[in-house]
Amino acid sequence: MDDIDAMFSDMLQEMDLLTQSLGEEAESAPLPKPASIPAPQEMNFSIGFTDLNASLHEMEDNDLDALMADLVADISATEEKFATDRDTSKGSAPFAPIPIQPQSNFGLPASTDTSKPATSSNSIAAPPPLPASKPSKEEQEEQIKADKIKLALEKLKEAKVKKLVVKVEIMDGSSKTLMVDERQTVREVMDNLFEKTHCDCNVDWCVCETNPDLQTERGFEDHENLVEPLSTWTRDTENKVVFLEKKDKYEVFRNPQLFYLWKKDKKSQMDMKEKDKEQLLEENFCGASIIVPDLEAILYMKEDGKKSWKQRYFLLRASGLYYSPKGKTKASRDLVCLVQFDNVNVYYCKEYRNKYKAPTDHCFILKHPQIQKESQYIKYLCCDDEVTMTLWVTGIRIAKYGKQLYENYKAAVRKAAGTATWANRTIQASSSASTPSPTPKAKAANGHAPQLPKDTKGPGNQTSFPPPPPSMETLPPPPPDPMLPPPPPDPMLPPPPPAPPASTAKVNKFPPPPRFPQSSFPPPPMDDLPPPPPPPEEAELPPDFLPPPPPSFAPYGGDSLPPPPPDPITSLPPPPPGPQNFASAGGAPPPPPPPPPPPAPAPAAHPSGSVRKMPPAPPKRTTPQQTAPPGGELMSELMTAMLKKRSQQ
Amino acid sequence: MAAWDLTVTVEDLGPDAPPFKISVTSDLHIGGVILKLVEQTNQMKDWSDHALWWEQKQQWLLRTGWTLDKCGVHADARLVFTPQHKPLRLGLPNGATLKMRACFSSTVFRTVVGICRVLNIRHPEELSLLRPVEEKKKKKDKDSSEELYDLTDVPLTAGSVQALYNGMPAHFADSPKTEAVYKMLSVSLPSPAPEAIAKLYRPASVVDKTHIHTRWLDSSRSLMQQGILENDRLWLRFKYYTFHDMDPKYDVVRLTQLYEQARWAILLEDIDCTEEEMMLFGALQYHIGKLSLSQDMVSSCQGMDDLESALKSLEVKMVGDGNSTDILDNMTAPELNDYLKIFRPKRLTLKGYKQYWCNFQDTSISYYKSKEDRYGEPMQQLNLKGCEVAPDVSVAGQKFCIKLLIPAPEGMNEIYVRCENEKQYSQWMAACKLASKGLTLLDSSYQSEVKNIQTFLSMQRCNSAAPAAQTDDSINTHSLVSPRYHKKYKPKQLTPRILEAFQNVAQLSLTSAILRFLQIWQALPDFGISYFMIRFKGSRKDEVMGIANNRLIRIDLGVGDVVKTWRYNNMRQWNVNWDIRQVAIEFDGNINIAFSCVTADCKVVHEYIGGYIFLSTRSRQQSDTLNEELFHKLTGGHEAL
Repeated sequence: MDDIDAMFSDMLQEMDLLTQSLGEEAESAPLPKPASIPAPQEMNFSIGFTDLNASLHEMEDNDLDALMADLVADISATEEKFATDRDTSKGSAPFAPIPIQPQSNFGLPASTDTSKPATSSNSIAAPPPLPASKPSKEEQEEQIKADKIKLALEKLKEAKVKKLVVKVEIMDGSSKTLMVDERQTVREVMDNLFEKTHCDCNVDWCVCETNPDLQTERGFEDHENLVEPLSTWTRDTENKVVFLEKKDKYEVFRNPQLFYLWKKDKKSQMDMKEKDKEQLLEENFCGASIIVPDLEAILYMKEDGKKSWKQRYFLLRASGLYYSPKGKTKASRDLVCLVQFDNVNVYYCKEYRNKYKAPTDHCFILKHPQIQKESQYIKYLCCDDEVTMTLWVTGIRIAKYGKQLYENYKAAVRKAAGTATWANRTIQASSSASTPSPTPKAKAANGHAPQLPKDTKGPGNQTSFPPPPPSMETLPPPPPDPMLPPPPPDPMLPPPPPAPPASTAKVNKFPPPPRFPQSSFPPPPMDDLPPPPPPPEEAELPPDFLPPPPPSFAPYGGDSLPPPPPDPITSLPPPPPGPQNFASAGGAPPPPPPPPPPPAPAPAAHPSGSVRKMPPAPPKRTTPQQTAPPGGELMSELMTAMLKKRSQQ
Repeated sequence: MAAWDLTVTVEDLGPDAPPFKISVTSDLHIGGVILKLVEQTNQMKDWSDHALWWEQKQQWLLRTGWTLDKCGVHADARLVFTPQHKPLRLGLPNGATLKMRACFSSTVFRTVVGICRVLNIRHPEELSLLRPVEEKKKKKDKDSSEELYDLTDVPLTAGSVQALYNGMPAHFADSPKTEAVYKMLSVSLPSPAPEAIAKLYRPASVVDKTHIHTRWLDSSRSLMQQGILENDRLWLRFKYYTFHDMDPKYDVVRLTQLYEQARWAILLEDIDCTEEEMMLFGALQYHIGKLSLSQDMVSSCQGMDDLESALKSLEVKMVGDGNSTDILDNMTAPELNDYLKIFRPKRLTLKGYKQYWCNFQDTSISYYKSKEDRYGEPMQQLNLKGCEVAPDVSVAGQKFCIKLLIPAPEGMNEIYVRCENEKQYSQWMAACKLASKGLTLLDSSYQSEVKNIQTFLSMQRCNSAAPAAQTDDSINTHSLVSPRYHKKYKPKQLTPRILEAFQNVAQLSLTSAILRFLQIWQALPDFGISYFMIRFKGSRKDEVMGIANNRLIRIDLGVGDVVKTWRYNNMRQWNVNWDIRQVAIEFDGNINIAFSCVTADCKVVHEYIGGYIFLSTRSRQQSDTLNEELFHKLTGGHEAL
């Protein structure tokens, strides 16, 4: 048994090392391993990297830093999986070393814990499978073995997953860089963005792709995978991914009458009662088949390859976009099908009056997503006014996506509501949070103890900080919870304790890099950078700097929170506790710690640095801050302020 | 009290038997009359289903406790003693005629409930009976041939919960004859011959479509009261287009019959659709027909369902397990290798097909100059993910081309791949289909996809070779579309178009294909609208009123345009003035409309509106109990009160 275990652990470590090798010099000596498995993995990795490299080229330094952080998080996540399985003692040796620094004393436990938070941020997909199987099977050793094999395979698979580094532009001209996994939906990516940007999480937020060649813009639907459309972009593309609020994204669900009763006069549309709206939705989206708005109008169409725009009478049907040819009736049988929606998407266009001599600027096109340039295979349409255009584009989306669109909307609403409630919770929690509960498992405890002293500069609470940072950096969801089956709260906590030591170290390394690429792994980044915090990336990181811990926590909470809303029952329990703690911690610390945005590390180690940086960040914009909770306490006020700042940038 | 003679005819004794005279007094109750009558007949038989029918008044005397006086029966009354349940020839949505017993004495609503219970159709409130269209030339041979199905021997059971036996309600399992009836009910019938479709009545205009509504029976009166006689023909149809709680598990017959009704509505152009939609409907019909043929009688039974689901889960499991080995397998993923001819149409060039060594792996085709070059760099590699695949096939001409539209940043690249024979074609075509969806040859659906393509090709072969002689396997594609397209396209032209649509549905199971068909049908803009010819109050012009499940639609007869729609949820109230036969409706905002019905009776309009409102009150929880009283309140009119 032991031998096998050992072999597996070796193998897994080996893989991890390989993974990391791209990011950092491989420090640890390669271990002997079964030849067969590693090979494929290596291949996969290299493939993945070429992709990455391509995109890396165009990135700025700060982006790179962020990317690195993501990568590391990834890696650690993988480790974590492994680690959870095995005994601390065994795993410790190989793991700890990797990226970590002196603090590695903590050894395995520390590293393991660290990884946990990271995992959460990682793509959900990977961890879930394992956790599920583990808890149930833990009892039987045999099964453990089987699980390990699975784990190994899982890792191989994971390595195969395509990841893209995506730079997302935000309305104010700043940008965020994310690593997006091919399994992630736009919804999940947006959850990350919410967390990173601290905007209000209302349902109108939307990830759009813009194509300057065609002057088009399309909001991705929440259920789409982001990587797929992006990977069809050409190498030299000027296309962008933009994160913004688009009112028309879900307007049809707020005001279905505008689309389904568009023929009625404006006034009766405005007077629509909520109850009637609900009924409209029920009728059109909840039946056996969804009903597409019965749009019909004269639109202009640019014919294949021609320059002129011709008027045609168009009708929208569930099966496609039709027009009635000259001299024929509107009867269904006489209609000519312009396009069916299976293989095309609908895009808004800008300034087609100039570009294509369109009659108006209210144009939309239908094209295969892979077409990136002008082509005869694109269908160009032009409407008289904006309302009509929105009507048609939305109608086509309904025809194309059907019920899914409604599901997306409902999920978005839940999500938005969840965030709001969460904010409230945090505040309340803050009061009680003062005592960071180190309830976690034994491992966690280990990690905790040492760190606590260290971290706690001022308030003991700060210990909790460390964990949040990691989460901040890495985007996605919090799958980690599953890993720690027993006590829901534990998941959150455990990470923090251990995190401080190990994670801090790691985190520190990463955060700094963003600013100064050269300082790739200086443990105490703050020190190095303190005086002149490079302001370039302000957009990205500045926020973190200014409002020390609290903000970071908030975001963290936000992170973990998002997931819960969708599936409240499963994921919720764990996250809340975590956030609360942080929040509480945040409350206490505010004064002393202006820990950097990155992970926890900053708080403890670099208060001073944070202070300096503070100035730049705050100036940013002033906007939304719905999350601001109602608490009367000082804490809540602080919180509000923090959130405000956050949201501004 | 003075005794007087009451004349009663006993129907069972034959038309020539003289009526009985029984001496009664006015305070004798109906039960007493029946007792006396039965005694006089001297016949030992079960009279329990019999009741008295008052001919002049056209009404039943069903309340045995009422006295003759209370019923208003006097000496001049001619009563008939007759069974309440009589055989009826029922035209089903699938076109078959079924002879069965129905209740002639209760309201049509309840009669339909009874019929549906026998046929095992849930939610009978959605169906009703109507008089058939008069057939122009009634041929005698046709009459005899349609009396295939007979359920008259099946007793009407009162219980609503029926035991299943052999996958069908127990009362169908009695004999092979009744089993055949159940099969007819629960399995969709083969496509009709194109000539048969062409012969049937098709509404040519909205006006024609209004005529059907003159034929609905009144739900609140009995069959006898509406002049329906024993052995008369009636149609059973889904009347209200809201299908509650459709569950393939319990609704085998209901689903099949609904599909049949929808199919006929499309074939006969009762509902308009576009050409693209027609092709898809055609493809689905073909697919459903094929699956129904191969479907065994048993397959709808419970045990089979379990088995099926077990197989499904097993499949899922294996696929799931497969995942772990996937990665390793991928290194030796199956591929296709062959010499194929490739043609890339380009502007200004007329180059023909050129032969290349082609290799299909994962989702890409790579082609090489020759087999020997296969280890070098390919001439080109085509990634088919996201591409459009269209067949360009003529079995007669031995042409097996695959047309690929491969998206690229600059547009779509058009490429033709020509295969040598059917086998090669079906393999490569299936691979292309899967690849366009991002699936590889590893996918479990590959083999079935290949098979589907082969069967469809064989169908085309039969068509072109011997159009007259149809075997079970082959179907004339003309029987899948409405007669309009018979004129527009020859079968040869039609087949490729249906084939194209077929590719997108070929993987559906029988039930999901039927559901898909119904879904597309329900998504048609004109779905569920019943048309009535009306005249608005004060207007001298005929107009058409469409009644749907949620709204009324005013349609201009001349142009066929929708003039106005009113939604039920804005409706305050509606009344019928039975004297002048006018329907008046009030909507929110003081909108009042009033109209009279030109063709159909205004009771039918009233029933439609009330019926839809009744149906909208159904909810999932109470789906088992039918609130008949409410139905009559909403649809009955003055007679209900």
